[in-house]
Amino acid sequence: MTKLDQFESVFLAADKTALHYEKLAVEHVLVVSDVNDDAATALWQQVRTFLSVLDDPSTRWARLDGGGFSSVQQLLDIVDAEAPDLIVTYRHLHSSAWQWPHSLGEYLDVLTQATPVPVVVLPHPDTALALPHTVQNTDRVMAITDHLSGDDRLVNYALGFTQPGGSCWLTHVEPQAVFDHYLEVISKIPEIDTDSARELIERQLLKEPRDYIESCRQIAERSLSCEIGEIVTMGRRLSEYRRLIEAHRVDLLVVNTMDEDQLAMHGLAYPLAVELRQIPLLML
Amino acid sequence: MTHDPSSVSSAVTIGFALLLAAMIASLAFEEKLHAKKSVIVAGFAALCLLLGGLLDLLPFSEMVIVVGEEHIDLPIYIPAIDWEVVAIILGSSLFVDITSKSGLFTWIAIALTKTSKGDPLRLLMFYGVMTVAFSAVLNNVTAMIIVGSLTAVSLTRLQLGDKLLGFLLIEGLLTNVGGLLTLISSVPNIIVGDAAGITFMTFFTRAAPYVVVVTGITIWMGAKVFGIHPLASDEARSVAAQRVSGFDENDGIKSRFKFNFGAVMLGAFIVTIAAASIPDTVLHSLGMGYVALSFAVIMLVQYKSIADRFYQAVDWDLLAFFGALFVVINVMEHAQVLALIGRGVTPILGLGDTIGPATMLVSAAVTSSVTDNIPLAAMLATILGNLDLSADSPYWWAVIFGANLGGNITPIGSASTLVAVTIIHKHGLALSFASFVRAALPFAVVQLGLAAVYVLWVL
Repeated sequence: MTKLDQFESVFLAADKTALHYEKLAVEHVLVVSDVNDDAATALWQQVRTFLSVLDDPSTRWARLDGGGFSSVQQLLDIVDAEAPDLIVTYRHLHSSAWQWPHSLGEYLDVLTQATPVPVVVLPHPDTALALPHTVQNTDRVMAITDHLSGDDRLVNYALGFTQPGGSCWLTHVEPQAVFDHYLEVISKIPEIDTDSARELIERQLLKEPRDYIESCRQIAERSLSCEIGEIVTMGRRLSEYRRLIEAHRVDLLVVNTMDEDQLAMHGLAYPLAVELRQIPLLML
Repeated sequence: MTHDPSSVSSAVTIGFALLLAAMIASLAFEEKLHAKKSVIVAGFAALCLLLGGLLDLLPFSEMVIVVGEEHIDLPIYIPAIDWEVVAIILGSSLFVDITSKSGLFTWIAIALTKTSKGDPLRLLMFYGVMTVAFSAVLNNVTAMIIVGSLTAVSLTRLQLGDKLLGFLLIEGLLTNVGGLLTLISSVPNIIVGDAAGITFMTFFTRAAPYVVVVTGITIWMGAKVFGIHPLASDEARSVAAQRVSGFDENDGIKSRFKFNFGAVMLGAFIVTIAAASIPDTVLHSLGMGYVALSFAVIMLVQYKSIADRFYQAVDWDLLAFFGALFVVINVMEHAQVLALIGRGVTPILGLGDTIGPATMLVSAAVTSSVTDNIPLAAMLATILGNLDLSADSPYWWAVIFGANLGGNITPIGSASTLVAVTIIHKHGLALSFASFVRAALPFAVVQLGLAAVYVLWVL
């Protein structure tokens, strides 16, 4: 039944996943910091400027300064009571561990997993690590994943955070190491032609996100005022992401955080959140 | 054909008849034997030739062609094969295979899916008509593979998995109805049409009305039996339309030029095959096999550097099966087995112009339902050919309709229904031999009943 499989493959390939666009609705934003008074106000103003794309007469902005909470439980209770649509904060709240770039700090660790609310993670105000162009506006947003096709939530957030006239980069980096591993196995199976397998699998792996991005581009052309950029490539994920972020002077990086299969943060999100400390991240 | 029929003893004839029965039984149990048709029949052909030679049944002395002063010795089994039939099958299968590479058929299939907007009843009607049209142009198996695999993908997309069995069963049954549309739509048509001298156009104009009516009835019955209804609400229609809108009919088209060229050539192929029916023309003299092979060559020019890939894709099992089958039938003719079967068929002919063809139709259908319809068609074509029947005799049409529609009674009756069952099982749906017969029998009875009425009183 080789022919049956051939035609089924043709039809499966023709069945393309398209973006189901939904306008982002962020009606309540909570800015959480571990500073007070002038420092907190300065941060608050910087965030309002940075996220001006969310400004809408109906959007309610609230702030929780350092004196407002002193434990993770307290923070979670406040978040629960406020029920924000978005939290804006930074790493290592109430901690000096920001000096050692090896974790997110206990507050952010729990916050990103214990609540379903998306979190914008800013560069720590004390580190002076933020790249010069960042935390000013969101005219260059990048959504990044290793499985872009069908990830409507990720893309809708990325589009929603892109300022009018800005660029939204949709990025799919196929893990080269995994691909190489499978190819190594295939090279030991006589029934499968290794060169054909390499060419065809790579082509199909990259075609699916490209088709999906094309559907995003069509929607953007019809009903949005931003430009869609496409980056679909094979690569070593973290180093590739770092290179792309620098090359495109990204203002905000959008990544998935939740993983349905585990309590811990998404396997890719955690190293990104730990290592990419120079630009704001939107962790979904 | 036999040098002296009276010299063949009854014992020899019965012995060869038993060999023929054994071959037909082996073909019926092809799956159980884990052997391809070509191997089974080639084995019997080799044995028949050897026995025919040893028993002095074969006219070796007649196998010399005199061309001028040159005498060409032909192996006995070469003229036994109907090369026109082989040429039509080889040429048209190559042509269709290359044309399908252009993405033409998948484009049509996906465009129709999108046009249906995901409505189940409209989808059943479109897929049903498409199955018939594809079966008429392609072979039944390829038509079933294309429509069946798309059905599985699109119904999964529409979350209509519970309707998959009904869709596939209806499509399987319609492949054999579509196989009646033209002279080249199925192998029994080619064999019987060739023996009867029925032209392409005559075949089409006579068979088409029946095919149109029965397609409509089969789809209507299918919708009723399997509960396939139109979507009831605007919301459901909107969701379904959105789900099928993701299909991209252009995805399989690698080259727009090859796609357009394939479409034009397909139209030209059908017109030229039809033109070969016109008597006293060069095309008529060259035959449909020449037309099919020529179009295959024209299409191959598009892929000249990888032509060998298409040769590999040719169904050599089917062609070798034909070649060997013709040899077996030729030996059976010399052994007077066909004359013996002909004597068995004679009472049917004696039943009169109404009951006779009707009995022939039902007998051919019942036989085709449990064994391959190609040997049956080849045997009956040879037997009827020896009776000097005219081209418009209802007996030819009785064999054609019976041999094609008999495949709808059981899952092993035709290769295309077997493909439908394979797809059904592949998607985890249970359908035993008995449940197939239970589900398909009402359709087959209606189709055969209408065929009998059509052959007897309309044709």
